[in-house]
Amino acid sequence: MTDKRHSILFWSGFAIVMALLFVSPYVLPPFWQRFLTEVLIWGLLAMSSDLLIGYTGMVSFGHSAFFGLGMYGAAAALLMFTPSLVLALAFGLIGAAVVSAFVAYFSTRLRDIYFAITTLIFSQIFYVIIFTWTDVTGGENGLNFPRPRLGIPGIWSEPFTATTLHWFVLVVVAGSYLILRRITQSPFGMVLQSIRENEPRTRAIGYPVERYKIMAVMLSGLFAGLAGVLYALQNRFAAPDFVFFLISGEAVIFNVMGGIGTLVGPILGAGTFLLLRELLGRIFGENFPYLIPLGFIFIAIIIFMPQGLLGFARRWLNR
Amino acid sequence: MELQSSGGPSAAGRQGEAASVLRTEGLTIRFGGLTALNNVNFEIGRGEIRAIIGPNGAGKSTFFNCLTGVLRPTSGRILFNGEDITGLPPNEISKKGIARSYQITNILPNATTLENVRIAAQSRRHGWSLFRHYTAFGDIMAKAEAVLNSVGLSPKADELACNLSHGEQRNLEIGIALATEPQLLCLDEPTAGMSTAETHDTMELIRGIAKDLTILIVEHDMKVVMELAHRITVLHYGEILAEGTPEEIQSNPRVLEVYLKT
Ligand SMILES: Nc1ncnc2c1ncn2[C@@H]1O[C@H](COP(=O)(O)OP(=O)(O)OP(=O)(O)O)[C@@H](O)[C@H]1O
Ligand SMILES: [Mg+2]
Repeated sequence: MTDKRHSILFWSGFAIVMALLFVSPYVLPPFWQRFLTEVLIWGLLAMSSDLLIGYTGMVSFGHSAFFGLGMYGAAAALLMFTPSLVLALAFGLIGAAVVSAFVAYFSTRLRDIYFAITTLIFSQIFYVIIFTWTDVTGGENGLNFPRPRLGIPGIWSEPFTATTLHWFVLVVVAGSYLILRRITQSPFGMVLQSIRENEPRTRAIGYPVERYKIMAVMLSGLFAGLAGVLYALQNRFAAPDFVFFLISGEAVIFNVMGGIGTLVGPILGAGTFLLLRELLGRIFGENFPYLIPLGFIFIAIIIFMPQGLLGFARRWLNR
Repeated sequence: MELQSSGGPSAAGRQGEAASVLRTEGLTIRFGGLTALNNVNFEIGRGEIRAIIGPNGAGKSTFFNCLTGVLRPTSGRILFNGEDITGLPPNEISKKGIARSYQITNILPNATTLENVRIAAQSRRHGWSLFRHYTAFGDIMAKAEAVLNSVGLSPKADELACNLSHGEQRNLEIGIALATEPQLLCLDEPTAGMSTAETHDTMELIRGIAKDLTILIVEHDMKVVMELAHRITVLHYGEILAEGTPEEIQSNPRVLEVYLKT
């Protein structure tokens, strides 16, 4: 009964948000339209790391590597072949999958802070490789590449516009959200949450915990890579800055601000963070050290809304 | 007192021996200078209820930790259904058919009572299913509900485990172990901290589930042990001091000397 009501509420909410995001290109000025598309992309990155932080209880600082490899994978496809959306997606996802499999294999043997540090070190290794391997990656300058056409190979295609790019990103992010949500509610997802709650007990009832963690890191890395591909499509460049661990840190901040273990919260956190940064920049000028006030806001959220913005909003709505 | 040894021919293939579910040979574990288990040769037959008693620090929980793969013995072997399981990790030992409950309650505190049991039931199948909702697996849900019923927690199915009373959490602990469908169930002081009435109920519960299982139970309450166990093993400083029926143990002078005298 209440399950059914819950599900009706969920799908109505989902439909309303989708409708609003769908019509946004008709309403928003171009700058804010682009901004919103980017929030969705960062939201996908944050959501992917929530699978680890919120559901498995592992904090990863390696997501910049997965994101960056998605980005450079797409770049490789767009530079080596006739630009194709399918190839960009395939190369980006393969790049992210290979890197996340590698990181997952070595880092999941460790727990807690040791896991976090190992993922951070791996992401920095990839950063250094990309930064120094100038012949292939363009080094510090990064890579510029053309944008592929939107379409289905052999059937139909047309150039991306700001609006169709937004819709494409929206479909990918919403689809990823639904898939991640289903994963978190699957038997596999329940095992991840059991690991978060009590790892030794989960092992004792018969689960090979390491294998589940490896799978979780790989899935998470795949969605982070997808976000990297979307970012490459939007901006038509790849740069080593995006592989740097600060990006991983931002993904963690989005999670904490929005509310971990909720999937939607991290998107909300990304939106709030980026909006505040943008507004602070506008009010106080480009060179304003926005991280200082943002840091205070972040601390205030942790103290006064320990479950993040979404957790806070939920409790407030339930009153 | 008659012992069931009706387990049929065991996989061990050792002719002339009672069908033993579990054997340890020379099981020894040291923590630095402390020998917590010393050359323990232990055997339990199928369908038996065996109690392990001994003073604090005798090595009872350590024995369970070795059997379930939490600790790796320094030397010696553990044979389960004739198969050497020494050094296997806990998840594989669970898959072989040994389950345990813990002396200190060890559950998923922020999951519901049902989910605690369901996740254990799910460990045998469907764990790698990613794209279907967990409630869609009717076999697992049914198993979980049956187990909750058998440990008397059905009315609390949707309660968070951390909100259960101490006694209920102790029974949930047994439920989680049962849901993995073990052949051998190791219970580490299942009635610790329970009232007399709760202890009585839990004893009835254990007697009920013992029909299809082999049970190894560590228990301090002598009255309970004497009523429940077919045989008793007394551990003292990591060594087996005596073994026998409750009557034999009660009248064993060495046991009386170190343990039962008060
Ligand atoms: N992981 C460990 N590391 C070091 N010493 C340990 C460890 N586990 C147990 N011990 C020691 O081994 C001895 C046996 O402990 P164990 O917990 O097995 O006793 P027990 O018989 O279960 O006692 P109790 O009745 O108090 O539960 C104790 O001296 C204990 O301090
Ligand atoms: Mg003990």
